[in-house]
Amino acid sequence: MKRIITPLFRFTLYLVLIAPLLLFAAYAFSTRWFFPQPFPAEWTTTTFQRAIHDSRTLSSMAQGLWIALLVSVLSLILALPAARVLGLRKFRGRQLAWLLLFLPTIIPPLAIGMGLNILFLQIGLAGTIAGVILAHIIPTLPYTIFTLSSAFARFDENYEFQALALGASPWHIFFKVTLRMMTPSLVVATLFAFLISWSQYLLTLLIGGGQIITLPILLFSAASGGNPSIIAMLSLLFVAPPVLVVAFTARQLNQHGEEIREQY
Amino acid sequence: MKRIVFLLVVFTLLLAACAPSVATSQPAATNPLVATDAPTVVAGAFDINNWDSVLAAAKGQTVNWYIWGGSDSINAFVDNFYGKTLKERYGITLNRVPIADTADAVNQVLSEKQAGKDPGAVDMIWINGENFFTLKQASLLYPDWAQKIPNSALVNWDNPAINLDFGHAVDNLESPWSSAQFQFVYDSARIKADELPHSYADLKTWACANPGRFTYIAPGPGGFLGTRFVKGALYEISGGAEQWQNFDQATWDQWSPALWKYLNELEPCLWRKGETYAKDEAELKNLFANNEVDFSITNDITGAGTGIAAGLLPATSRAFVFDTNMIGDFNYVAIPLNAPNKAAALVLANLLLDPEFQAAQILPENGFGLGYAIDVTRVTDSAALSALQSASTKLGDSATPASDLANSLVGDSAAEYQNLIEQGWAENVLQK
Repeated sequence: MKRIITPLFRFTLYLVLIAPLLLFAAYAFSTRWFFPQPFPAEWTTTTFQRAIHDSRTLSSMAQGLWIALLVSVLSLILALPAARVLGLRKFRGRQLAWLLLFLPTIIPPLAIGMGLNILFLQIGLAGTIAGVILAHIIPTLPYTIFTLSSAFARFDENYEFQALALGASPWHIFFKVTLRMMTPSLVVATLFAFLISWSQYLLTLLIGGGQIITLPILLFSAASGGNPSIIAMLSLLFVAPPVLVVAFTARQLNQHGEEIREQY
Repeated sequence: MKRIVFLLVVFTLLLAACAPSVATSQPAATNPLVATDAPTVVAGAFDINNWDSVLAAAKGQTVNWYIWGGSDSINAFVDNFYGKTLKERYGITLNRVPIADTADAVNQVLSEKQAGKDPGAVDMIWINGENFFTLKQASLLYPDWAQKIPNSALVNWDNPAINLDFGHAVDNLESPWSSAQFQFVYDSARIKADELPHSYADLKTWACANPGRFTYIAPGPGGFLGTRFVKGALYEISGGAEQWQNFDQATWDQWSPALWKYLNELEPCLWRKGETYAKDEAELKNLFANNEVDFSITNDITGAGTGIAAGLLPATSRAFVFDTNMIGDFNYVAIPLNAPNKAAALVLANLLLDPEFQAAQILPENGFGLGYAIDVTRVTDSAALSALQSASTKLGDSATPASDLANSLVGDSAAEYQNLIEQGWAENVLQK
């Protein structure tokens, strides 16, 4: 019985995950698909051709990827020390620090964005990639800090002391011991940062002021026009990098998990 | 813990309250960017009365045109027609900035003003109505240019539909691009032409004979065609458009109850019994294309043509108008006061009025679908004139015949009625 149920369950799960994407694909490669036709009658690659040949689509994807990658790296660099202290130490004001770091998840991004836009306009950061990256770090930081600090809460500092006692330099310890032990959480945190930055619409729009065009900007703009083919095509392009990244990291994490299991 | 949360909230509110005052107290001169950018502005100096100096200053500039990006076919039209020509003829690069709502561009200009940023980011905005009025009131538009570009001679500036934008004087602050007129769309495969309603009274009869097969767009921001539908009803009920060209509260008080009465009588016959309305043109188009309702609404001079070409409407879609009270208007482009590339924006605004491009913009296959902004009778070049005349005969079956459009055409009402209608509709029809 179990031999049937498990694959069936697995199949249903895949279907639930993939069905929306199939629907996107059906819309993206067809035209004039109106109710009550059950399936698209006119298949076409026109929308796809147009999206691919529109330099704006590709450049917006490239720009979005760059921004998301840089945001992930910067967010990790900023989050690591904070997460270490929050995860490992008990101190007065720890709750307050937590709250301050989590404020961006509570305050509506519009409120942050409007104020930030004025500030960035004054200091010349509005409309620049640097400004958009800085703005994206605000909503990503809470997630990277939270992910890493919960890992640090389970982190045993004695491994570092042991390496120190054996004569390793602080850099050596950081790269060979701390980072190695933190790898799975670092991957998850990077993933969070990447996904949040990649899908940012409001902050990119406000801080970028139309100068910085990422895929969500094109997608929202297309959505306001209501052409299902174009919306579906841009949505497919929008979900592709996150799906690939998640698939890749899931594989990595799985392997890593097995390595760890082997050690015990 | 609770106290900390409270303190944090207070702290945040204080921060939020401080932000604007901090912003305005900082003079623009302290911005290092302004200082570094200043020489390029001087280098691009021009005299608007000397068009050659404008062309010379525009050469090599990039014009950042903030334009609603929701229509793929309009985007392609802008890139393929204006983008290419600007590059080839004038050495100008067109940077089309797609926005989801024109208000986004207006907010950008307002924020730049607050931050004292000059030059800003926006060179030109596709604009009309409230958005134009917002920037005009704030004195944030580049003044005194629209009637000085060469092709403005082709525009009939004496026409109140052109020199007034939603009742507000254009005052040389914006230049027209195209014209539009309110029309309905039906599917000739579903309804015969002789069954179509000819007035709002007819429409109510039709809707109640076919319950659930009609709805309109909710009036309000994003639903200006819905507002226009309601205005047309107001015109019919009150016996004409003329008395609504100037604002008079007493006239409004006299006729608005009859308007709400008509719409509330219509409501139970509507799609989903009027519990909800289409929120914008795109949604109504979808409902119509998917056979949920029998009529859509459009502003395109090409009628259903652009929608058919884009695959959004069935190929058998046709446009039609009532006998009268079909509101038409013009839309414009404006240049912000702090635009970094004003010369290039002027060249583009002039190109929009070029007879060659005016003729191109109304052809359904080119994807734009709105009408002429210029007065065809003012075009002296015979080749251009014949191009314009032949283009207007190529609109095909899916467009409303030009004579029907002209016979039913009325002007929009004074801008003050816009809010009265939108709020009044929400209170008296939607929520009652």
